[in-house]
Amino acid sequence: MERLQYILQDALVNIRRSGWGGLASIGTIAFSFVIVGIFLIITGNLGALVSEWKEQFQVTVFLEDGITAEQLTLLKKRIQSERAVKAVTYTSKEEALQSFKRELKGKESLLEGLGENPIPASLQLRIYDAYQTPEALRQFTASLGRLEGVEDVLYGQEWVDRLTAAVRMLRLLGLSVGLALGMASLLIVSNTIRLAVYARAEEIEIMLLVGATKLHIRAPFLLEGMIQGGLGAALALLLLFGAYRATLWQLQLTPGQIFGMGVGSFLDPQWVGAMLVAGAGVGAFGSLISVGRFLRA
Amino acid sequence: MIQLFHVYKTYGRDVEALVDINLHIQKGEFVFIAGPSGAGKTTLLRLIFRDELPTSGQILVNGRNVVKLPGRAIPHLRRSIGVIFQDFKLLRDRSIFDNLALVYRVLGIPAAVGKRKVANLLKLVGLSHKVQMTPYRLSGGEQQRVAIARALMNDPVLLLADEPTGDLDAELAVDVMRLLGDIHAKGTTVVVATHDMDMVRDLGRRAIILKGGRLVEEHL
Repeated sequence: MERLQYILQDALVNIRRSGWGGLASIGTIAFSFVIVGIFLIITGNLGALVSEWKEQFQVTVFLEDGITAEQLTLLKKRIQSERAVKAVTYTSKEEALQSFKRELKGKESLLEGLGENPIPASLQLRIYDAYQTPEALRQFTASLGRLEGVEDVLYGQEWVDRLTAAVRMLRLLGLSVGLALGMASLLIVSNTIRLAVYARAEEIEIMLLVGATKLHIRAPFLLEGMIQGGLGAALALLLLFGAYRATLWQLQLTPGQIFGMGVGSFLDPQWVGAMLVAGAGVGAFGSLISVGRFLRA
Repeated sequence: MIQLFHVYKTYGRDVEALVDINLHIQKGEFVFIAGPSGAGKTTLLRLIFRDELPTSGQILVNGRNVVKLPGRAIPHLRRSIGVIFQDFKLLRDRSIFDNLALVYRVLGIPAAVGKRKVANLLKLVGLSHKVQMTPYRLSGGEQQRVAIARALMNDPVLLLADEPTGDLDAELAVDVMRLLGDIHAKGTTVVVATHDMDMVRDLGRRAIILKGGRLVEEHL
C-alpha cells in the first residue's frame, strides 16, 4: 500500500516538474485527438444519415397501363417471393395522381390540360439492407424489368452509394490522419518522459542501488504518461464538445433537427471512453519506450 | 557471509581489475580491503552487491550465488546490503531527510516508521540538526556521515564502505571509523575498502591487501 502511495507521489512530482514539456505533451495529444474526433463525429453522423436513407429506400416498379387485375396479382406474388423484398405496396393510377396533386399544392391547374391520367400505377418495394449493394440492386432491378406488366424500374440508389463510398473514404482518411498524429503524440510524450527520466537519472541509479525493482522505477513514469495522455484526450473532448454545441447554436438547431433525423449527434459514450483510454494508452506506451531504453542503457 | 572462488574481472580485452581472488569473510567480521588506488578494491565491492558481474569465478553473499542471480532477484540482494559509496551518491538538490527517505520509499516502509528511522540514524551520526539542509551546505565529513546513515536505512546484515575516510582529515577519519566500529559492534558485518595503510595498521583489524588486482597479503 505504502509503495503505491509513494509511486503516486513520485508521478505527481514528475508532472509538476515537467512544466512546459508536460503541457506540450498534453497539447499535442489534445490536438491529435481533436482532429480524430472531428473525423469521428462527421463520419458517425454521415453513417447514421446513410443508414436512415437505406431504411427508407424504395424501389419503384412502374406498371404498364393495360395491366389486368389478374396479371397484377401474379406480379405481386412473384415480386413478394423475392428474397430481397421486405414489403410491397401498391399505388393505383388514381392514388398516384392525387398524391401528385397534393405535392403541386395550388398549381393543380398545370394538370388541367391533360385529358387522361398520365401517371402510371406502381409497386413500392422495401428492400432488405443486405441487398442494398449496387451490384445486387442492378441485378435485381434488371430481372424485375423483364417481368410481364412492368413498364420501368426506378431506384435512386446511385447517390446513396456515392455517399456510402464517401463515408468509407472519410473513415479511412480519418484513420490514417489519426494514426499519423497518434505517432507524433507518442514521440512527444516519450520525449517528455525521457527528459523526466534523465532529470531523475541520479535518483534512479541510487534507487536501483538500494534495491528498487525495475517496476518500481517504471511505475511513476508510466503513471505520468497515462495522466498526460488522459488529460490530453479529455481536453480534446471538451474542445470538441464546445465546438459542437457552438456549431449547433450557430445553425439554430437542436441536435435532433438536422435533416429531421437522428443525425447531428456528438460522439457516442463508447467513443468518448475509447478516446480517453487511447489517450492514456498513448501516454503509457510513450513512457514505456523511454524508461525501457533508459533502464537497458 | 562473503565467499569468493577464483574470481577474475577483466575490463575490455586486457585490463585485469581482479585476478584469481579467493576469500572468505565470516558473518559479524570487520574486514579491511586495503591497497593503493587502482588495486581493484572498488571493483571487488561492486561484485559483492552485484553492480558488476565477474568475468569468471563464483561469489556467494549471504548464502546467494550472486553470479547466477536472476535480474529480478538483484533488488532483494541489495536490500540486505548497505553501501557507502566513495562519491557518497547523495542527491544534491534534496534535503538530508529526502535522501534518507528515498530508501524507505523504495523498501515500501510506512512513512511513520521510516521517519522515525531517519531521525534515529541522523542522531546516531550526529546530524539531527541538519535534517532539512541539502548536501551542498554540508562539509565533506558531514556528507560522509549522511552517506553512512543512508546505508543503514535498510538495517543491512552487511555494510560495504568504499574509502569512507578518503577525503577527511585525521580527526574526522577517526570519528567515522569509530562510527563504523559501533555499527559492527551491533552485529553487522562490515567491509571497508581503503588506501590508508596506516589506519589499517593502527586499528589492528583483519586486512586483505590487494595490489594490481591480486590478493597479495592477509593480516589477521
